[in-house]
Amino acid sequence: MSAAGGTISLLIGAVLLRLTFTGTYGRYVRVGMGPWLAVAGLAVFLLGLATLLRSLRHSSAAGADAHDHGADRVGWLLLAPIAALLLVAPPTLGSYGVGRGATVDVRAGAPVFDDLRGNGEPVPMTLLEFGQRAFERGGASFNGAEIELTGFVAETEQGGFELARYQIACCAADATPVVVRVTGLFGDVPPRDRWVTVTGVFQPGGDPIPRLAATAVLAIAPPNDPYE
Amino acid sequence: MVRAVADDAAADGERTGEDPEHFVSRSRGRDLGVAIVALVVLAAALFRPLLEDLLDRPAIAHWATVFVAIVVQAMPFLVLGVTISAGVAAFVPGDLLARILPSRPSLAVPAAAAAGVALPGCECGSVPIAARLVDRGMLPAAALAFLLSAPAINPIVLVATAVAFPGRPEVVVARFIASLIAATVVGLIWARTGHDGLLRMTRRRTVGEGPPLSVMMATAQHDLLNAGGFLIIGAATAATLQTVVPRSALETLGGAGVLAFVAMSGLAVIMAICSEADAFVAASFTAVPMPARLAFMVVGPMVDVKLIALQAGTFGRAFAARFAPLTLVVAMLSSALIGWWLL
Repeated sequence: MSAAGGTISLLIGAVLLRLTFTGTYGRYVRVGMGPWLAVAGLAVFLLGLATLLRSLRHSSAAGADAHDHGADRVGWLLLAPIAALLLVAPPTLGSYGVGRGATVDVRAGAPVFDDLRGNGEPVPMTLLEFGQRAFERGGASFNGAEIELTGFVAETEQGGFELARYQIACCAADATPVVVRVTGLFGDVPPRDRWVTVTGVFQPGGDPIPRLAATAVLAIAPPNDPYE
Repeated sequence: MVRAVADDAAADGERTGEDPEHFVSRSRGRDLGVAIVALVVLAAALFRPLLEDLLDRPAIAHWATVFVAIVVQAMPFLVLGVTISAGVAAFVPGDLLARILPSRPSLAVPAAAAAGVALPGCECGSVPIAARLVDRGMLPAAALAFLLSAPAINPIVLVATAVAFPGRPEVVVARFIASLIAATVVGLIWARTGHDGLLRMTRRRTVGEGPPLSVMMATAQHDLLNAGGFLIIGAATAATLQTVVPRSALETLGGAGVLAFVAMSGLAVIMAICSEADAFVAASFTAVPMPARLAFMVVGPMVDVKLIALQAGTFGRAFAARFAPLTLVVAMLSSALIGWWLL
């Protein structure tokens, strides 16, 4: 399957390069992996191109692809992710996986935080930092400052919702969610899986999930780097 | 000129080489191949709305994202592994490794296991490399020990483990020792009782001949598609299991003792996450006792559904059917031993 194999490699390389340069790869792996994906994509693309050209040049000589064995046929399966990615790139992980497993342990190795000094502007932070601050000294380091959190709605409830964002170490297969409970909403609660930026203040409580008393909720488009 | 190996292909070669009928079907087969590629892409384009509807269902979207994530994440490592493997095929003479490496298993196996420290990467890359080493005359048991240890004890994985368990260096030490012991023991058991005949080296057949660079290219192309195809099977299996079996189902099993240990080992097998990431996942299981979490980190890089698919594809199903259970048992015992001693 020399010519077909070359074509498949060419397509894999092209899809990887496209994922990298459109930024879509951030849905699947750590954003830091971008350069490696680009290098791998380029290498596979060139390999496929060379194989294809060579196989076309040797099209009269049967020796060129003299080993069409069953073991090679499995390579066809690579067309599945190629087709999927070329046409409909699967979305970022959503609320489906929250609550199906362990959440991030905010107590492990949580740093000691300096108190926030409010200058009137809301302080943006990750859900992980929010959880760690809430745990450390019972949330004293928030110092009453206004906080800004970005994530998706994992679960809706009366007057609030669970805001979540995944931590990933390598790729979406190892994603572990961090959850913050947003309270104090009157009126409409955003639907599940909607990405939002929430502004509010830390609310101490006996809940294992830290709470944010919301002052504003803004619907946003899913960010390019959807994981923390 | 480099003449690359084609031992067990000799029979095939004799059967097919001079057969004019085959030439015809070959070239027709090639055209057909390209046509199929075009057809699949076209069909997928036509069914695009259907695919989009499917992705509106949360479970299917979750499956697709995890599946694509595992494949995308593995590609750079696979490319690295395939490049090294092809480089060895093209530039290392056939008998060099057999001549310079110790042939006594009691020496070769621990040395190969320890050499795993030098290959930074995750498990997908080490399968083609190990297969190539066997192909170049390395003692199979030693190559297998390397295959098991490389993804588990390389510096990147150890640093990731230290980051995931801050202030607990004993976790890193335990992981290193338990993985090294497991890899060495599996290698030694294989050297005594394994059947090297089971290592069906499908890969040997292709390499071709000519200047080193062209051998390297042909080998890389073949290895990439072969390993890549099995990676797809493994990734699809892992994504299915992750979607169907919620982590919480196994976590609740993980109350205490032996049950937790078995549950975490099973979880490592079905989750099939990269060895560079598994420490972070292990760290999130706060309710599970430490030795069971160690088992998760020792078993994962050595046995998981993605690796079993890759091994079955590279070395043959009969091999994987024996090697994977053997490795699983040894890895669990080793982490039990080290876990209760150190953690």
